[in-house]
Parts: sequence; C-alpha cells; structure tokens
Amino acid sequence: MNVELTDLRRRFGRTEAVAGVSLQAGPGVFGLLGPNGAGKTSLLRMMATVLAPSSGRMELLGRDPGDHADRREIRRRLGYLPQSLGYYPGFTVSEFVEYFALLKDMPPAKVPGAVASAVERCGLSDRARSKLRSLSGGMLRRVGIAQAIVNDPELLLLDEPTAGLDPEQRMAFRALLREIGGRATVVVSTHLVEDVGAACTEVTLMNQGKIVFHGTPAQLTARGEGSGAAGDAPLERGYSAVLSEARA
Amino acid sequence: MTATARQPPQAPAAFRPMTAGLRLVRLYLLSRRVPAACCLLAALGCVLCSALHWRWNIAGGPAAQLAIPMIVETCAAAIVAVTSYGPFGDTERAASWRLPWLRLSIVLVLAAAAFGLLSAGASGGYLPGGVLALLRNLVGMTGIGLLSAAALGGAFGWVGPMGYLFIIEGALADGWTTPWVWASRPAGDVGGAVCATAVFAAGLAAIAALGARGAGHRVAAE
Repeated sequence: MNVELTDLRRRFGRTEAVAGVSLQAGPGVFGLLGPNGAGKTSLLRMMATVLAPSSGRMELLGRDPGDHADRREIRRRLGYLPQSLGYYPGFTVSEFVEYFALLKDMPPAKVPGAVASAVERCGLSDRARSKLRSLSGGMLRRVGIAQAIVNDPELLLLDEPTAGLDPEQRMAFRALLREIGGRATVVVSTHLVEDVGAACTEVTLMNQGKIVFHGTPAQLTARGEGSGAAGDAPLERGYSAVLSEARA
Repeated sequence: MTATARQPPQAPAAFRPMTAGLRLVRLYLLSRRVPAACCLLAALGCVLCSALHWRWNIAGGPAAQLAIPMIVETCAAAIVAVTSYGPFGDTERAASWRLPWLRLSIVLVLAAAAFGLLSAGASGGYLPGGVLALLRNLVGMTGIGLLSAAALGGAFGWVGPMGYLFIIEGALADGWTTPWVWASRPAGDVGGAVCATAVFAAGLAAIAALGARGAGHRVAAE
C-alpha cells in the first residue's frame, strides 16, 4: 500500500478539519469528493507532508513522514499540486518545472529530459519558453500539473487540478491520470463528479472531516438510484444521497 | 495533455551534478528577487556615501549625521529580510529537504553583501561608530527582520526593523542604556554586540527551520 492512514486527525483551534480518517490506497486513481470545508485540502496537505497531523498514524510509500530521513525520501517520490499554485511570474514554463525537478533531488542527468517530457505531456511544449506571467489560468494549472509529474511520482496528490481547464484539456487530463494511475497512487480532490466518474477507480466522499463513503464510482452511483436525491447525472445523485444521509 | 507521449520531442543535454546545483541556486535566487535586492543594497551604499559626504543642515546637522546611516542600515536589513518571501508555498515545501540550507545560505550571503556595500559606501566619509557599529547594527536589525518574516510573512520582513528604528530614536532621546537597543550604545560595547548577535542567530534559525510564514498556514518541519 502506498498510503495507509489510521485515525488521522487535524485540528485548527476548535475546528477539527480532519476527524479520524482511516484509508488505504495502492496504485490507482482515487477521487476525493466533498462539499467546501469537508477537510479534503487538509487531508491532502497532510499527505503531502506540509501539514503535521494532530494525532493518528500515517504511512506514505511504506515510510513514516514524521521521521526526517523518511520524509526526505517520501518527498523525492511525491508529486503535489496544491489548490492555489504559487509561482514566480518571471520564470519560464521550463524554468518553473526544472526548479521543482532539481528540488526533488532528481538525478542531474535526467532533469532536462524529464522537464521536456513533463512539459510535453501537459501540452505546453510550444509555450516552454514563455514567461509564466503571460499564461492564462488554465495554462498555469497545466504548468502546476507538469511540476507535479516531473519526477514520475509514485504518489501524486492533486487538489482541484481541473479548475480552469477547458473540456478538451479536461479529457486529456483524465487520460493522463488513468495512465499515471496504472503504476502510481493518484489522489484527486475535486468538486467535479464527472472527473471522478471518468478517471477514478475508487472514490472517497468526505463530510465534516470524516469519510462518509468509500467505494467505486459505480457503487456511489447505485446509492443515488431511487433515492430522489438532487443531481443532473447519476453520480451526482449518488453524491447528494450519501451527503443527505450523512447530514441526517 | 497527452497520456501516451512519454519521450520529449528532442533530447536536451544532460546536466552535470555541479551544473544542477548551480541552476537550482540560480532559480532560487531569481524567485527570491535577490538580484533586485543586490541592486537596492548597492543603491543604499551610494546613498550612505552621499549622506556622509555632504553636510546636512536639517534636524540640527549632527543629529542627521547620526540618523541617516541608521535609516540606511534599517533599510538594508529590511531588504535582506524581505527576500525570505517565496512565491511557491506548499508546492515548494512538499518538494525538498534543501530549503533550510538554501534559506540559510542566501541570508548569510545577502547580509555579507549588505555589510560590504554599506561599508564601501561609508569608506569616503565619517561614519558615527565606524564599521564595527555598522556591522553590529546591520546584524541585529537583520535578525529582527528575519524574526518578523518568520512571524508575519516574508512580505512583512520590513516591519520589525522599521519598528526597531522608532524604538532607537526614543532610546536616543531618552538616554536608555539597555544593550537591547544596541544602536544607541558605543561601537565597542560588548553587551550591545552580544544582544545583536543573539537576535541575528534567533532570526537565522527561525527563517532557516520554518521559512517565512505563508498565507496563514503553520507547517510541518522540513
């Protein structure tokens, strides 16, 4: 298992953002759904080793992120796209991706090829020398995805990756997710249930810091059948039905 | 985006380990706007040179002769502290164990550059307290700047040194003698030098270990 979480909790003052999450994940694409404030981003930040849990046990790629040497190794093999991507506007696309390849301790000989490959896989080859300040929001999102995949991560964490992408780019992105999910664990936090239906092998639904559903997209769809829950698509009705039950 | 094309269209030249290290440092310096900071520090050196060369007829003359170098030192410390601001946030924190070392090195190099440029600027005229006082004041105020960057965020690294400048003005006017207001003490004062060095060490440790505070997030250790 690449991800093993046991009773993971994170408090911010009086608010418990993550309230006892237990989860196991091997290779595949895992969708993380839930309303705003459900704890998805906090959970992803803990898995990205940037936020320490208040309590509970976490093992990533067979290592303990609480240990300094283990954390260093995890970070080498991790890809992370946060909800809001910070960038230096004077960098070119290639420089931005190269910076993260170098930070992730990639073997120097592999860096130029890996950068070119990541940029190309995100459809940005023709903009590789463009300054980030000149890119649109959707292009910046793709630059963020490129830095996350540059080291061929074994654990890829993506927070709202498709925000700002047009439908064609989203379809291409889903194909990329499926391809990476064949050998790595990909965790995707999103509000777009159609992304989950199209790309994810498993889906986890969070509400108020807790997991209220874990299963396949088909199982989530089945929860909505005949429930009369709101939604334009079967998966949306499943999502609404599970949330209604959790809130009741 | 494509799921199938794994090979780049052309094979770029591979980096040597030394080249990779230098490229990382270069990109880190650019992202922290260090070249711009160096230009500003050089400009402050020129301002100090001009200030010491001319005779000032404001605020009683001698007071200006003392106050202008202190303002220049404060500005230099603020510039060093503000370069601790990084634009990348969580993406960068999740990527590397090298950040504390990069932060530490850059602060030390910039502080040394600030001292070098200001002492070069001061070499042509009379600097109250001499180069020793310049070093002490710069080191101490940089420490305050780094502490405020760690507590408030890199973009607010200037708040501490500016606040401290007002405290010194009050100390000079009221005749305070505590070594914590080292800038109001004589150049050879050991207590003031020890306090300034202690504050610098605390600031350096805080900024290296934690980095500048980012958008309301407290983070795991690096």
